[in-house]
Amino acid sequence: MRLLVIEDDETVRESLCRQLAAAGFGIEQAADGKEGLYFGREYPIDLAIVDLGLPEMSGLEVIRELRAKGKAYPILILTARDRWEDKVDGLDAGADDYVVKPFHYEEVSARVNALLRRSGGWATSILSAGPVSLDTTRQELKVNDAEVELTSYEYRIIEHLMMRAGEVISKSDLTDRLYDQDFERDSNVIEVFIGRLRKKIDPDNTIKPIETLRGRGYRFALERNQTE
Amino acid sequence: MIPVSSLSARLLISVSLLLVFFFGMTIVVLNSAFREAGEEAQQDILDGQLMALIAAAEPNVDGDLEMPPELSEPRFGNLGSGLYGALTDDSNFSVWTSRSALGTYVPYGEQPSPGQRTFSRIELKDGTPLMALSLHVQWELASGDLKPYTFSVAQSLDSFNAQLAGFRRQLFTWFGAVALIMLFSISMVMRGLLKPLRQIESEISDVEGGNRQSLSDDFPDELSSVARNMNLLIGSERGRAERYRNTLDNLAHSLKTPLAAIRAVLTEQRSSEVTEKIEAQIERMNDIVRYQLKIPAARSKKFGVIALPVKKELKKLVDGLHKVYKDKNPSIDVDLADGIVFRGESGDFLELAGNLLDNACKCCEAAVKLTIAPLSVGKGLGGMRIIVEDDGPGIPEEARAPLLERGMRLDESAPGQGIGLAVVTDIAASYGGTVTISDSTLGGAKISVTVNPD
Repeated sequence: MRLLVIEDDETVRESLCRQLAAAGFGIEQAADGKEGLYFGREYPIDLAIVDLGLPEMSGLEVIRELRAKGKAYPILILTARDRWEDKVDGLDAGADDYVVKPFHYEEVSARVNALLRRSGGWATSILSAGPVSLDTTRQELKVNDAEVELTSYEYRIIEHLMMRAGEVISKSDLTDRLYDQDFERDSNVIEVFIGRLRKKIDPDNTIKPIETLRGRGYRFALERNQTE
Repeated sequence: MIPVSSLSARLLISVSLLLVFFFGMTIVVLNSAFREAGEEAQQDILDGQLMALIAAAEPNVDGDLEMPPELSEPRFGNLGSGLYGALTDDSNFSVWTSRSALGTYVPYGEQPSPGQRTFSRIELKDGTPLMALSLHVQWELASGDLKPYTFSVAQSLDSFNAQLAGFRRQLFTWFGAVALIMLFSISMVMRGLLKPLRQIESEISDVEGGNRQSLSDDFPDELSSVARNMNLLIGSERGRAERYRNTLDNLAHSLKTPLAAIRAVLTEQRSSEVTEKIEAQIERMNDIVRYQLKIPAARSKKFGVIALPVKKELKKLVDGLHKVYKDKNPSIDVDLADGIVFRGESGDFLELAGNLLDNACKCCEAAVKLTIAPLSVGKGLGGMRIIVEDDGPGIPEEARAPLLERGMRLDESAPGQGIGLAVVTDIAASYGGTVTISDSTLGGAKISVTVNPD
């Protein structure tokens, strides 16, 4: 999952990015509105965290611009102005949720996870399909109620696939979200991870959770379990 | 003088008093002039009748004066004609009385001294007013002797008085009519003249009521500077509130980012007693800033208000809350009185509704209900009642009062306690309203807020 953080205060931005990166997100960061808008438009982003008070271009304008350009990923507002007037303006411009400064990191990460999950069409924080269930808050994968140990890269891939269960995810998309831009990209790595995931989740090759669509990518193939 | 508040009433009363005075004087003068002229004419007539009597008198053989049986003036001969004549000799013995005076005693008044004439006003027994003229003459007989006689005539004043009364009636009628027409035209003119004043008055109350931003600029010269100055005043009042709000907003913004930075740095530290203490202070500073930012600015109650149609504002707010609470997905049922407006700052309304709805969405199971209705007693300032209900656990009786205390007691409030209802209470109070908490039929809390009650 790749996040874009647009925040002009260096301390706040860097600390937030460090903690999000540690939680397994790929991060793009921008210190002003214009730069942020550029990243938001040109990079494959799953969610943007936008501060409202930005130099060069206000956060509200960035959000409006992004929505006008057809970018549909969730946007979380960071704002120091917590009058309802400002919150409502932000939500009306196209944001999906807000966090008021000074925030706790846990609050931001909870909102980010909820927004990502929702944008994948999941109503709860536990993504459950067939015998497989992924707890996105605890970052735990269970198959038939038995926990499966995953590395952080493996977790990121299965999370991405399960979030968008039923959709075809291209290999380059997975690569983009797996690495920060400076990393060397090697598509074979994805194949290796997918193979390892298949072995861990489905050692007997009976559930077949991940489909390979030749030349197109991968798809998490299990039906989502209806909640309630 | 009794104080009269309306300019046109003052003018009409003064003009009426002046009219009564001047027309009254004119009526008195005209009446007495007419009367005098009338009386003079009466005297001339009497004089003529007297001369005719004297001309008709002839001495008889005894040398006494006698009147012919028929006189040229027929009224002397007609009973009750109102014209009477008499001739008396020196010893006041009646030589002749006209036939018209038959059976009537006519007191001709005071006897004139020799050679004199006297006019007098007399009255018959039945009350008929008469004017009488008597002339004392020395009649020169054929013998050359002089014999004194008094000729008297009297005429009824009935017709004269009737004429006078008619004249007076006409005077009153005409002057009355003229006075009424004048008062009417003056009040018409006043209406026209005072129209701009009335317009400025209604525009000012529109500004106060929030239906108008400023006064128009099409007033006559005498008022245009008043309107201009009024607009400047309104503008500066509004600007003041806005500047205050912006200053506060910027201050809050510039304080909270460093707070966020401190917290960010802190979160990455290993948790210790020091980090916890700093964390508590951050929370406290944050609460102070938030609270001060949210309570209404010292706004001008007279001119700061704008009539805000709440429907559009609420739609944005409810849409926003649906996004924020997408997981819970509560139903937010909005029951809005038609065309209802909030007279005040839009920020204050959103703060009231936002805090109430946000709290309700947080607490509810699945349903939130918002009702906004005009206060039936509220006129002019457009009072309204905002009721927010939810189907959550509700607020226990004993917990209610502390929630509604005005002014956040910062040193006492525990960090993270939330300032929502304190802010609502303070905003409601600044609009003269109150907040009450009760139980909702939905099962949870029902919070009722009034604003702008009269």
